Amino acid sequence: MGTDRIECIFFSEFHPTLGPKITYQVPEEYISRELFDTVQVYIITKPELQNKLITVTAMGKKLIGCPVCIEHKKYSRNALLFNLGLVCDARTKTCALEPIVKKLSGYLTTLELESGFISNEESKQKLLPIMSTLLEELNATGACTLPIDESNTINLKLIEQRRDPLIVQEYDVPVFTQCKDHFIKSQWDLTTQQILAYIDGFRHIQKISAEADVELNLVRIAVQNLLYYGVVTLVSIFQYSNVYCTTPTVQSLIDDRSIQEECLNYVTKKGQKRAFLRDVFQLYCGLTPGTTVRDLCSRYSQQLQRVDERRLIQYGLIKALIRRLQKYPVKVTRDERSRPPRLYTGCHSYDEICCKTGMSYKELDERLENDPNIIVCWK
Amino acid sequence: MYIHSSSFDLQGERKSMYKQSENSFFKCGEKTSPISVILVTSGSRGNKLLFRYPFQRVADCTSSLTTKQRSPYALNTTGDVLEDPDGDSREQTPLTDEQLVAGFSDIILATILATKSDMCGKKFELKIDNVRFVGHPTLLQHPHTIQVSKTDPSPKREMPTMILFSVVFALRANADPSVISCMHNLSRRIAIALQHEERRCQYLTREAKLMLAMQDEVTNMTETDGSPQSPFRQILPKCKLARDLKEAYDRFVKTPYKIMYLWIVSLFLQCRCNNRVCCVSSLCTTGVVRLHINNWLEVSFCLPHKIHRVGGNHVPPEALERSLKAIRPYHALLLLDSEKALLAQLPLDCSPALVRLIKTCSAVKNLQQLAQDADLNLLQIFQIAAHLVYWGKAIIVYPLCENNVYMLSPHANISLYSPLAEGFGQQFPSHDLPSMLAKFSLPLSLSEFRNPLDASVQEAQLIQMVVWMLQRRLLIQLHTYVCLLVPPSEEEPGLLRDEELPLVARVGGRSLSTPSALSFGSPTSSDDMTLTSPSMDNSSAELLPGGDSPLNRRMTETLLASLTEHERQVILNIPAAQSPEDLRMFARLLHYFRGHHHLEEIMYNENMRRSQLKTLFDKFRSVLVVTNHEDPVISLFQSPLG
Repeated sequence: MGTDRIECIFFSEFHPTLGPKITYQVPEEYISRELFDTVQVYIITKPELQNKLITVTAMGKKLIGCPVCIEHKKYSRNALLFNLGLVCDARTKTCALEPIVKKLSGYLTTLELESGFISNEESKQKLLPIMSTLLEELNATGACTLPIDESNTINLKLIEQRRDPLIVQEYDVPVFTQCKDHFIKSQWDLTTQQILAYIDGFRHIQKISAEADVELNLVRIAVQNLLYYGVVTLVSIFQYSNVYCTTPTVQSLIDDRSIQEECLNYVTKKGQKRAFLRDVFQLYCGLTPGTTVRDLCSRYSQQLQRVDERRLIQYGLIKALIRRLQKYPVKVTRDERSRPPRLYTGCHSYDEICCKTGMSYKELDERLENDPNIIVCWK
Repeated sequence: MYIHSSSFDLQGERKSMYKQSENSFFKCGEKTSPISVILVTSGSRGNKLLFRYPFQRVADCTSSLTTKQRSPYALNTTGDVLEDPDGDSREQTPLTDEQLVAGFSDIILATILATKSDMCGKKFELKIDNVRFVGHPTLLQHPHTIQVSKTDPSPKREMPTMILFSVVFALRANADPSVISCMHNLSRRIAIALQHEERRCQYLTREAKLMLAMQDEVTNMTETDGSPQSPFRQILPKCKLARDLKEAYDRFVKTPYKIMYLWIVSLFLQCRCNNRVCCVSSLCTTGVVRLHINNWLEVSFCLPHKIHRVGGNHVPPEALERSLKAIRPYHALLLLDSEKALLAQLPLDCSPALVRLIKTCSAVKNLQQLAQDADLNLLQIFQIAAHLVYWGKAIIVYPLCENNVYMLSPHANISLYSPLAEGFGQQFPSHDLPSMLAKFSLPLSLSEFRNPLDASVQEAQLIQMVVWMLQRRLLIQLHTYVCLLVPPSEEEPGLLRDEELPLVARVGGRSLSTPSALSFGSPTSSDDMTLTSPSMDNSSAELLPGGDSPLNRRMTETLLASLTEHERQVILNIPAAQSPEDLRMFARLLHYFRGHHHLEEIMYNENMRRSQLKTLFDKFRSVLVVTNHEDPVISLFQSPLG
């Protein structure tokens, strides 16, 4: 938000004798005669394009507008055509500005229909200071509240658009990426408020649902919402029997000073002196396929004196320094008569199966180890 | 589309709009496919829309509105947002692609897409509500150079002249920016072809005339018959250009995961004079379809988004290009099709260099050996390899050898019912894919894998299986990386120093970069880029007599000078450091110990054996930390296809 500047706000209309022209623009002279000639067909448009959000790129600039047409006998030529638009640099991403342009066109339409705001020459002049204020405030804070007259106020806000979040599964574990205390609880919806306390980076969705006494799907949606706003990220369930391995990103711990600082602060046991980078790096590198966290703890007990292994794993997953190796059972041979496997197809991990069936890992292990038809893949 | 409210029912019958697994393939298709192709021109007769596809039956257009207004409670699906005070277009009912563009009449499209001449020669981008139009308006030659037809019966009549034209693609507004720029690229290439053909034989004018005549005819028919028809349907069988445009569109939309090829024209033109450029650019017409403009010029194009996918998301071309530039001579090229199949796809006029490369290419041969065997210089090999990878015909791997360690890829599809499992079963009867994959759950070296418990399985077949799995991105290769980390003293903060350590420069090692002229489509420069044995400054160290000569000692000191005092002390205190040769070797390799160069790279650059390196690592293990992971440079190529 606030990263893309609006360079200019313009008000264009169809003059009964002069044709399409720019009546006001802030700052002045920003749109050259040449530029307007090139793009005027997209600003004051044919009827088919009216009320549509039109963004055109020309001469290194992007113009976003929404042409309006109000038909009435009282206007010369029986119609009033105008367009209040924004101009940005051609490289700017302008999706967030579109709702603003639409809203503005709606406001002006209302004003015109209610009180002839635009067709009246005197009140039209008020547009210029309005446009100046808009430009200033939208660029500065991304929001603008501006009373126009006694009954109308313009409220605008730039809303950043984000990517769609992943689906949250019941075996996923949400963890805050920023300090929990930064958030004002009362700003969130009731469901989120109720589960906030249970998000500790170790409880998975199913557990949160059980402990907070909130229905599972509601928890999933609430966490998805938090994911959308980048407040949490998802990691996997922690167990001492888990297996992890390093990714190429682990080298960033060596390359990037800020990650080093953050990591060491995060993983050091409370009350201890800060852990050494070498120890932490050795611990991460000690995570290999076939090595459980338990094995790591026994092999590297010296390095773990100052390090909390759960937070070590958590940090590694959040920053993608390590990744979890999940077990996937696959039933490779079966009788012709027996049912086809539902869960043992290679698509469902142990985490998922245990969550869905309520078995523990150990139980599932015992069950599968004795079955000669089932092989297990790790990935 | 994400609607953030808590009244949304995830489990319910409503289609989950952001469900990843199945729908992502369709979503990606929507975002990466054009919804329409339109040809407009502007000239003395004004702006005209010559052709558009898909076209709607005119009858449908008018009736669709009335049928939808059956119920007063039905949603208005025409896309107007007059009543929406927030103007948040993301919350509209999603329209089908056809409805989006069909809403624009021919006339309005002609007005908005046939731009003024000062917008020509540049990217044209226009967004209207949910549709984005992208094209490259092109000026034609000044009219006075066009010959007046001799058969024109009325010499006084002026030839209607075309000033500019534009091939425009309509996309969904939320298409990815790299897709938009690819479609723009395609539009530009078609424009170049058409411009060329227009200059040569007025191809475009002739086609335009045909199209306009058809449109007039249909309009007349409509007026007399009263039955509306789409003129474009009539145009298709008569105009080659219309058919070409339709084909371009169809290939993108209907075959999302196959590669679509249209041939580069401008380079074809240049290549008549410069054979070498021709060989580079004419490489890749291994296509299912070829577009021949005016039956003469081929337009070739590839949308990399359709080919390169990582776990459901496409790989942006920039990332692809970055990876291609980081290929090293010790890498190998693994073809994704059989040699025969690949050769069969090449056109008759393709370069012999490409054919030679395909014939001599092998998964066990690195690019340097390939250059020698195919009798090409290394730069050419790099460029051809890069092209083959870009077009999805090959991937870069480390050459297969005993010591390679493979592991199951995190993106691998290990489902029992996947088409891969079926294919594997057909290729290698009496073996099943999941069992093979399970073997690679733990990192397995090729030599370990080849110790068959089952004696009847031939070793060669095992190698074939590994190659099969690599081709389908089921396996990743793990390499060993080493990092120098000295146990901290009590005073040390325990962090590394700030400097980036460009140790390469300091130590005077040779440049570790690939031939620098590797860029797409550029003419070759230097010819001699053989990188056989390292001929670097440091090799002089090997020639010097061993032992503790003053020269050697000085060199070692210089090399170690880049370290802090504490680090130097710790290293020198290691028992192995007492041996001057070991210390010298350690110092020489110091710049590799930053975790960015794997064992095989060090072996290649320094001409050392694996056992030598492993012994060294062992001797200095108190200051080195070793880890195994995939090579980030080629991990891009180890991602699965869509």
